[in-house]
Amino acid sequence: MRKTDIFTLALLIILTFFTALFARKDSTQWWIPLLILILSGIKFLLVSFNFMEVKKAHSFWKTSIILYLVLFISIVTLVHLS
Amino acid sequence: MTEEKTIDYKNIYYPPGGILLWILILLEILTFGIALIVLMVFSREDPELYHRSREILNVNFGATNTVFLLTSGFFMASSIHRFHRNDFPKAAFFLRLAALGGLLFLTLKGFEYYEKIEEGYTLGYNTFFTFYWLLTGFHVIHVLVGLFILSFMHRSLSKRTAIREDMEAGATFWHMCDLIWLLLFPALYLIL
Repeated sequence: MRKTDIFTLALLIILTFFTALFARKDSTQWWIPLLILILSGIKFLLVSFNFMEVKKAHSFWKTSIILYLVLFISIVTLVHLS
Repeated sequence: MTEEKTIDYKNIYYPPGGILLWILILLEILTFGIALIVLMVFSREDPELYHRSREILNVNFGATNTVFLLTSGFFMASSIHRFHRNDFPKAAFFLRLAALGGLLFLTLKGFEYYEKIEEGYTLGYNTFFTFYWLLTGFHVIHVLVGLFILSFMHRSLSKRTAIREDMEAGATFWHMCDLIWLLLFPALYLIL
């Protein structure tokens, strides 16, 4: 087991705990869904870059993943706030 | 056996796991992403209904299942790492742990489904639950297919006939199940 993988897993579990915790707070606050989505986006990046080793790939694949996440989080947030 | 130095991952055509798998991943996350955006658009028509329906879902089950899949992904990454070092027994051991994570996910999901059916929250209960059943159901199918692939990977590891490309492609498919769940969990269980 690599130390980076252990660190990544620990971070992923901590982020999961916090996203679940934030969801229990007052959902009328506009920033809570955005915060949950950003934390989930970080988890998505950790899995793809560290576990799937996208960090070693051509910049096209890294950019595609990041661009997809930014678009997804932006659209969901905009629809949610509308 | 592993040809580690012959694959140049920096080449656009050779991402880890193979280009075909990555095209599939981009299409899959795009499809699930669009479905979740449609869910959000529908939720704006009756936010109260969607909020009440979302609260019926058990966040603890969702979070626990997230941990199961993430831990499973960790063991899969460890298995591939061991495979690259030609440590086949350890690679097979971590692969079994990865499969265990998937089985635990399916067990808890099955229990959650049973609970929802018992309470009458079936596919046609309301539009939120239509999205819930379709999206999580398609994801469960991905996990089942992933477990099937894992069993083949384990077989080839046991026979010492495993090929690097096949192992990495199988692992990438398994991680894709994590990625899809990381989109579904916040959208269905947390933010509505």
